[in-house]
Amino acid sequence: MSYDAAFERLPINACFDLKGTESALVEWIGAEVLPDFPAEANCCRKADGVSLEHVGPRHWLLQADIDREDDLNGALRPHEAPAEVSIVRISDTMTTFRITGTDAAHVLAIGCPLDLHEAAFPEDAVSFTEFFGQTALARHCVGGFDVSVEQSFGDMMEDYLKRALR
Amino acid sequence: MMLIPCPFCGHRNESEFTYGGPVKPDRPDPNATSDEDWVEYLTTVPNPFGPVQERWWHARGCGTWLTIWRDTRTHDIVEGPSDAE
Repeated sequence: MSYDAAFERLPINACFDLKGTESALVEWIGAEVLPDFPAEANCCRKADGVSLEHVGPRHWLLQADIDREDDLNGALRPHEAPAEVSIVRISDTMTTFRITGTDAAHVLAIGCPLDLHEAAFPEDAVSFTEFFGQTALARHCVGGFDVSVEQSFGDMMEDYLKRALR
Repeated sequence: MMLIPCPFCGHRNESEFTYGGPVKPDRPDPNATSDEDWVEYLTTVPNPFGPVQERWWHARGCGTWLTIWRDTRTHDIVEGPSDAE
């Protein structure tokens, strides 16, 4: 069986791992740098090309285009952060695949146990899960899904996806 | 397959979780307990025929540790987490 779907390997994004309470992070970073914090679990907020994803208790990922990495690094000042917050630049630790097409959800479902129905995983949803047995970050994109895995598993995931789409 | 209720993510497939073992009784004071009770605490793992209290880690999810009551006969989760960390 072949699927009406395609995938591509995306260039890396600027990505920062933020841990701490919302108030402590806002106090350190400043509200003008960040989009509004998403109150709901496993959802994201976007503003001015920056996406803030609520992926765990007191745990967020801040993502933007890679050409904004230095600016964000300067604003976040990871190495000077107080003990109440943790900020780590993780841009080059993840490889992202974009799966698009009318069967994109079927392809994702081969290796991912998430309930991908719109009611359970809506447009602004983002969540850590597993994909072909590895920890992965799944989120919606236009016409499909983006799945990020640890960078060292990138080639293996590409091979899995090629086989899935045969 | 079990769907485990994560307090942050909601119900998720058990494959996203790592088993953390049964909840053991509080550690007794080794200077105030008998040798038999101390050996019992150290070596006996709770394994009832029925509900058992267990720790699970949402390792491929939000990272939360949680405690549930699982019935070993049916795998039904008879009580969800109340102590999520």
